[in-house]
Amino acid sequence: MAGRLEDIALRVASIAVLLLFWWAAAAAINDSQVLPGPWAVAQTIVQDFGTPGPEGESAFFDIGITLARIFIAFAASMVAGIGIGLAMGLNRACERALLAVIPLMLTMPTILMVFLAIMWFGYSQAGALVAVMAVVTPFVAVNMFEGTRAMDKSLAQMGTTFRASRSLLLRKIYLPQLMPYIFSAFRYAFGQTWKIVALAETFGLKFGIGYMFFFWFQQFNIAQTLAWVMMFVILMLALEHLVFARLESRAFAWRSASSAQGGR
Amino acid sequence: MTAQHAYNAQRSATAPIIAGRDVRAGGAAGASAITIEGLTKKFPAPGAEQDFVVLHEISLSVDEGKFVSIVGPSGCGKSTLLNVIAGIERYDSGAVAVHPRSDRAAREPRIGYVFQSPRLLNWLTVENNIHFVLEAQNVPRSRWRDLVAKNLEMVGLAGQERNYPLNLSGGMQQRVAIARALAIEPDILLMDEPFSHLDAITARKLRFDLMEILQRAKPTILFVTHDLSEAVFLSDSIYMMSTKPARIFKRVAIDIPRPRRPEDSEIFDLEKTLTRDFFSVVEASG
Repeated sequence: MAGRLEDIALRVASIAVLLLFWWAAAAAINDSQVLPGPWAVAQTIVQDFGTPGPEGESAFFDIGITLARIFIAFAASMVAGIGIGLAMGLNRACERALLAVIPLMLTMPTILMVFLAIMWFGYSQAGALVAVMAVVTPFVAVNMFEGTRAMDKSLAQMGTTFRASRSLLLRKIYLPQLMPYIFSAFRYAFGQTWKIVALAETFGLKFGIGYMFFFWFQQFNIAQTLAWVMMFVILMLALEHLVFARLESRAFAWRSASSAQGGR
Repeated sequence: MTAQHAYNAQRSATAPIIAGRDVRAGGAAGASAITIEGLTKKFPAPGAEQDFVVLHEISLSVDEGKFVSIVGPSGCGKSTLLNVIAGIERYDSGAVAVHPRSDRAAREPRIGYVFQSPRLLNWLTVENNIHFVLEAQNVPRSRWRDLVAKNLEMVGLAGQERNYPLNLSGGMQQRVAIARALAIEPDILLMDEPFSHLDAITARKLRFDLMEILQRAKPTILFVTHDLSEAVFLSDSIYMMSTKPARIFKRVAIDIPRPRRPEDSEIFDLEKTLTRDFFSVVEASG
């Protein structure tokens, strides 16, 4: 218990120190047009939530749009990636065919992919979706493929011996063994997705956090620009820690089960 | 009745095809549970002219309700033989027939398998590990609860339903594996050196318990081991296998009355004689 408290205290302290540096720098420069302090930025954030912005919507609207874009693109590339990776792992022909293509996709620089998608699809939601999928899907697929390689084949053989159907094998034997790989892909894929969506919003999509960021950037309003950056960072950190970390600890409950006899 | 039909339909759809000579569902009434005649299996040997013969002209027969062991050195193809019987491995020639118990309505035989290592799904609770095979065998959900409770109690693990395998010792995990195999109410139970990974004391305890368990659930058992004393203690009869070529060279009936104790002089004497026979053949074949 003491270790946990200490851990929390350290985290809070390190963030406090960072804020202190920011505050000190702002005080030294003493020009809110160049670097507003943390307090001013916080006030701007609160104000953005309460009052309609330049497009007549409050920050809730833009955050909602960005989240929707992220989740659709993320879910689509995860599902596609897991499917392709499994197909590669369980089928020889798929493996050979795709192992030639995937390195090509993986080498493509992310930012070029975003520009290509914009050229092909214009400034549309579809462009952002294609850009995310082109970058994230191959990565997830490769991760899944590695996962299938590391699977314990004797368990699948056990399942076959007891006449388990293919879908039962998939649900109870293959997927659980792939969970560590799915989660590590999950984190990376999520990070990539929000970066690409932010980029696409900055360059051309209407509405969203990236769009607002770019809007205020063009106005040269540094307080608002920083406010939107902070909103984005806080939102993504919250998702990472509150949602994914919990999902992960639930998925791996069986590993730490030895300390909680008869636990769930 | 409908459940029974659904079961049959599903089984025939997924039943493995074995070299076009699958007679496992033959259902010939009588006392025989497993009949194997002239079974030969080869693996292509990389770089060699001739295929590697894993099993050479194996013939054996296991009567219903009997405990039969196959004893042989490591690498003699014992596990392959079990896999052929389980229907998960093909063979090249010969005939393999596995029959359902004669007191049951004719259907495909159910085969339970206990492996050398427990092969449990560590991410599922003990209970869900058993549910896995019940679902695989299309046992109606309404029976799951009873089957889990009955079989865990039988292997001495009552109350462990919600526990995870990694919380259990190696011996207890192997007990779960035995409960899992028995839960499908198998016609045939195949056991592949199930105690060889355990320490001597745990193994001894499990052998005793297995004898007791079998008094209640009475499946036919084909048990593979390299341990002659274990085979003599447990079995009604023993087939002895040699390697290079992998063939059966001797069948011994063991008429020592039960309950037995491993220290019984009869068991000890028989083991001694068989050990002598065994090594004279195995060492001669190199």
